[in-house]
Amino acid sequence: MTISTSKPSETFLKSRSQFIFLIGSILTSLGILLVTVGGSWDITNHLLSKPETFSSPPHALMYSGVAVTLFGVVLSFVGWKNLQKFRTSYFLSLKIKLIGIGLLTGAGPFDFVWHSYFGLDGLLSPPHFTLITGMFLCSIGGMVGISRYLKFHNSKPVSKYLLILAVIPVWLSASGIISSLSLPFSSTDFFQFNPEPTFAFIVASLAYPFLISFSLFTVFRLSNYQFGLVSILGGLFLLIYSSTAIVPNFAMLDTVQFYSLNLIPFVIADVFLKLNRSKLSLFFTGGLIGSVFYMVYYPYVMYTYNEVLLGKLVSPSLIYFVYFELIQTVLLYTLIPSIVMGVLAVVVSDKITKKILIN
Amino acid sequence: MKKLLIYFSAFAILSLYFILTVFILPSEFLMTEQLVPEPYFAATISENNITLGDSFRFDIVSVNNGDYADIHIVSVAFPDLTMVDDVVKINTYDFTLSPSYIHVGEEIGSNYSGGVETTFSQYPSIEAMSRPLKPDVQTHFDLLITPKESGIFNIYVKSIGIPHTSDLSHYPYSGFLDHQNEYVSVYSVSVNP
Repeated sequence: MTISTSKPSETFLKSRSQFIFLIGSILTSLGILLVTVGGSWDITNHLLSKPETFSSPPHALMYSGVAVTLFGVVLSFVGWKNLQKFRTSYFLSLKIKLIGIGLLTGAGPFDFVWHSYFGLDGLLSPPHFTLITGMFLCSIGGMVGISRYLKFHNSKPVSKYLLILAVIPVWLSASGIISSLSLPFSSTDFFQFNPEPTFAFIVASLAYPFLISFSLFTVFRLSNYQFGLVSILGGLFLLIYSSTAIVPNFAMLDTVQFYSLNLIPFVIADVFLKLNRSKLSLFFTGGLIGSVFYMVYYPYVMYTYNEVLLGKLVSPSLIYFVYFELIQTVLLYTLIPSIVMGVLAVVVSDKITKKILIN
Repeated sequence: MKKLLIYFSAFAILSLYFILTVFILPSEFLMTEQLVPEPYFAATISENNITLGDSFRFDIVSVNNGDYADIHIVSVAFPDLTMVDDVVKINTYDFTLSPSYIHVGEEIGSNYSGGVETTFSQYPSIEAMSRPLKPDVQTHFDLLITPKESGIFNIYVKSIGIPHTSDLSHYPYSGFLDHQNEYVSVYSVSVNP
């Protein structure tokens, strides 16, 4: 007879360590989702000049998101420390999360100091970029953790829906990085951080289509080609974007019907991928998804193109007028590059998902 | 056969999507009427004649008589000054944004373009701003002015609503043009030595 010397809590931690790591990864992703939703809502409030307070609802959502993320990373660490197997496999996820949370939590005091010296900052500023980079890394860490857990446990199809939660924060936080580098929302009394208009035009035209296609193909591949996830992920993105960027602006409420039509290309892509997974079909679908980026990123993407193509003053009630005035011209300039970037994302997502899953 | 039918339907729906989002809905939305804010103000001067060293009150009540304004601006300029300094003090102010002081030589918007066309200011001014301003809401901007030189002390006042979608989106509609090529109402006080 052998007598175990370990305490019950240690035994529990060891036996459940992978599950604890999964919960940590889920909370990390969920936390970043809250931060990105709060961030998008906050941008809209700034554009509408709604009163800015420390405890405004978007801010509260962002702070809760950071707290949930922090808790998720701590839990991931606890889970990883007690892992009996797959320690090396889960380390990549933990490492990325630790770097991400370091940047994310460091961005708070950095932002405070920045505000104290330079007043209000715009969308792109050193503390904000630190924050968004931290969010992006945490979301990547969460996605890798969730994906690897599901792979190691040959999860049932229903648990694959967790991949939606894994990928949507990556999509939203990467959108935040692209927006910072392309939207003209970063001019302040002290610094002129607005991106150069032509540079912003190029960044938006290449990076947004790539990101949409990459996100959808990543969830498709990580789920082992499960039907429905592409539509749900796309639909969730549209829901989040419409409720944070369109609905709060009463002048744009009528355009929700236009925006909701964007679910069509996502569902069609899902159907195409279900029917045919040949290279040609994948490339066609990637190109299709990339080509609709101007519609998917309604309304704010318009500001980037307005800088170069029209140069109009866009006050909140004029947003959709200028957007629709530009739509055909923008598509004329960006259709081919966006299709190419959508196709390129198919190739890149293939390589990345293999790296995530084969380890 | 079933697969072919699905492909056909999918392509038909996709075509409809592109036609709707790129051609039909944009023209529909562009045909909808734009908001037309109609700013208006009434200004009163406490004294038309003062002695050098005395002060007078300049009270402005502004209102938006039209549609919802994204931005409602009341600008008060002092063409006889080079600096506002302690000549002008704000007594009452209930606009939603803090007043903005424009100095001589600063780059400012012109021709009601909201900053798309610019010029350089030739005299100081103070801009009061509310973002947004609903219809029929009054705002107040009262100044206490103590001229430092004798003679005629002029004040230019104008109000602009943004979006500036019509000639009704600024007040006054005609009259004297200021350094921004925008109409102003001129108020004068005689400062006796």
